[in-house]
Amino acid sequence: MTITFLIHQSKAFWRSKNTGKSVIMRVVMAILILYILLNVLVVAFFLDRILKKTHPGQDILYSFNSYILYYFLMDLLLRFQMQELPTLSVRPYLHLRIKKNQLINYLSLTSLWTTFNLTPILLSLPLLIKVVLPEHGLAQFWSLLISIVGLTLSNHFFSQWIKRKVNLNAIWMLIFFGTLILSLSLDFYFKLFSISAVSGGLFNTVVANPLYCLIFLLLALLVYIVNYRYLRINLYLEELHTADTTHKSSTEIPYLNRFGKAGDLVANELKLILRNKRPRSVITMSLLFMFYGLIFYTNPSFSGYSGIVFCGMFMTGIFIINYGQFMFSWQSAHFDGILVSKVSAIDFFRSKFLLFTFFSSLCFILTIPYVYFGWKVLIVHFIMLIWNLGVNTLLVLYFANKNYRRIDLSKGATFNWEGVGASQWILSIPLLLAPFIIYYPLNLLGYPEAGLAFIALIGLVFMISREFWLNKLVKGFQEKRYLIAEGFRNK
Amino acid sequence: MIGISNLKKKYNGVTVVNIPELIIKRGETIGLVGNNGAGKTTLFRMMLDLIRPDSGEVLSDEKNVAESEAWKDYTASYLDEGFLIDYLTPEEYFHFIGGLHNKSKAQVDSELPAFSEFFNGEILKKGKYIRDLSKGNQTKVGVAACLIQDPQILMLDEPFANIDPSTQIRLKNMVKDISREKHITTIISSHDLNHVTEVCERILLMEKGKIIKDIATNSNTLQELEQYFSVLS
Repeated sequence: MTITFLIHQSKAFWRSKNTGKSVIMRVVMAILILYILLNVLVVAFFLDRILKKTHPGQDILYSFNSYILYYFLMDLLLRFQMQELPTLSVRPYLHLRIKKNQLINYLSLTSLWTTFNLTPILLSLPLLIKVVLPEHGLAQFWSLLISIVGLTLSNHFFSQWIKRKVNLNAIWMLIFFGTLILSLSLDFYFKLFSISAVSGGLFNTVVANPLYCLIFLLLALLVYIVNYRYLRINLYLEELHTADTTHKSSTEIPYLNRFGKAGDLVANELKLILRNKRPRSVITMSLLFMFYGLIFYTNPSFSGYSGIVFCGMFMTGIFIINYGQFMFSWQSAHFDGILVSKVSAIDFFRSKFLLFTFFSSLCFILTIPYVYFGWKVLIVHFIMLIWNLGVNTLLVLYFANKNYRRIDLSKGATFNWEGVGASQWILSIPLLLAPFIIYYPLNLLGYPEAGLAFIALIGLVFMISREFWLNKLVKGFQEKRYLIAEGFRNK
Repeated sequence: MIGISNLKKKYNGVTVVNIPELIIKRGETIGLVGNNGAGKTTLFRMMLDLIRPDSGEVLSDEKNVAESEAWKDYTASYLDEGFLIDYLTPEEYFHFIGGLHNKSKAQVDSELPAFSEFFNGEILKKGKYIRDLSKGNQTKVGVAACLIQDPQILMLDEPFANIDPSTQIRLKNMVKDISREKHITTIISSHDLNHVTEVCERILLMEKGKIIKDIATNSNTLQELEQYFSVLS
């Protein structure tokens, strides 16, 4: 049965309409993962020397042991952020003559195939071979290895379980992070207890009594069973597809109706952003970007304007970049409806400009506190706001006319490659380079201020001539709309 | 009202729609029938300018739908859930659609009670987004949104498919009433021959992209259609 499921899943992958793109993405991801694993291997190989340097005079094995629990705490955190739940959609199988535990076993087993399960073993194996095997013996080698595998598996199934819990009820996320932060702060801040001492003691005991390693295997088994039972109870349609049952109210955004039809469209799009998971996470990421300046401006080596130009463009334009790069795909689910309704293309585009202006101005306001690092920061931010509104909005919308990829709004944004295509990559080139092409030559000649003024001027020119570009965009849209609509119909 | 000439569409070498000529007069109630794959939805999509025809054109009020957008002012349509903005509540959606046709919120609200029987208490003030409604209830939202637009042309693709029997009967009566009172041109596709012959004055039977029968409905039409479909099988 498991094999049948695997075949089905590979068919789903290869026969999907976006196969070509997904394959490229997988290859890119694979190369990235290989690179990370290579780094891990290098660290692992020199781990004994590193530990000798950082903890001189201490037994290497003890230093190693004292870090194991820290590692698995961080591992848990990373898994929680990045590991994906297995994606076989169980819906078409639930009513067939397939036992539930076959489905669950499949979900559990295939989930094991992840880099997170490989790194702890890769990281510890060289040290185990180089230090433990010759100095302590074969039994100790195996007992430590089995303990680490057991902890890896426990972490694996624990993170799956907690993620599913969080999907149903976000309070579990608070509990999870709360416990984690509490234990770490008790260790580092209050120094009530030391995780490293616990870890060192624990694994030294394992080394002394190799059979104790079975405890960790038992732990893994226990967590597996908890996860299994949880899935077993919750393998029902309504619980897997959580339509949360709280009352939805109709909201009005009053100020916007001053802008006519474009304003109504913006009101709709704001609701789109607030009521769907993926655009909401884009907004959260954009807000986090407001701290971007802290990295650069606190660093004294960034004294020139170019750092501010860069930061300013990102901070005031992050919404245009992050949200705009997937433009129109956000509305892919009801694009047919937009095309047949009495929304003219020009209003449609005006609403996008309005939305961009709203969010970019908001970002500019949020970055005003950076004036602490000098007035010039604020001025450059303002110039970059003009640039973003003048140039980058047009750029993003120009590429939006070439984007035919459907997006499912209900999925999260991290590691979600849906909707990512060539146009996003090509778009990033002019987006990142254009202001510097203007600024750098003048900067090199010794007129950085003139460079800034030139950026502002070009931004203004494009803002003033917006109607002209708008008509061009609408023309392009009219030509491409069939292709866009067809692409969006492909689920 | 609507004129089609030489309309053709192919997918992978297979002709899905091929209509040399079709004229639909103002106020006609058209039923579109045909087995799956006969090309009904593709025809609808070309009439709504959602798909570019390989050749030919669809004229609405003498204007090509692909070139002028004037048809949007008087055409309301519901083909599938892709027409609904699913993260809005039904009320918000109705207000938005009404707003596009210059109706204030209050105006829309005053029209909604007329649908209360059709909605059967399952749509309004339920505190749900459209995406959380059942397919049948989504159809109800789509159909009601069409009627709010006070259209002159109404196009519905299988509106009876997902809704319950009582609502089917109500929908039939609604369509009959509006086409009689307001003289609306209506095009409805359906697999239910009873419903179509009851509501529509003229039946177009499609097979493999062609209109093979064009019948003015009379008391024998249902039999004629049933015969056609049973012979096929």
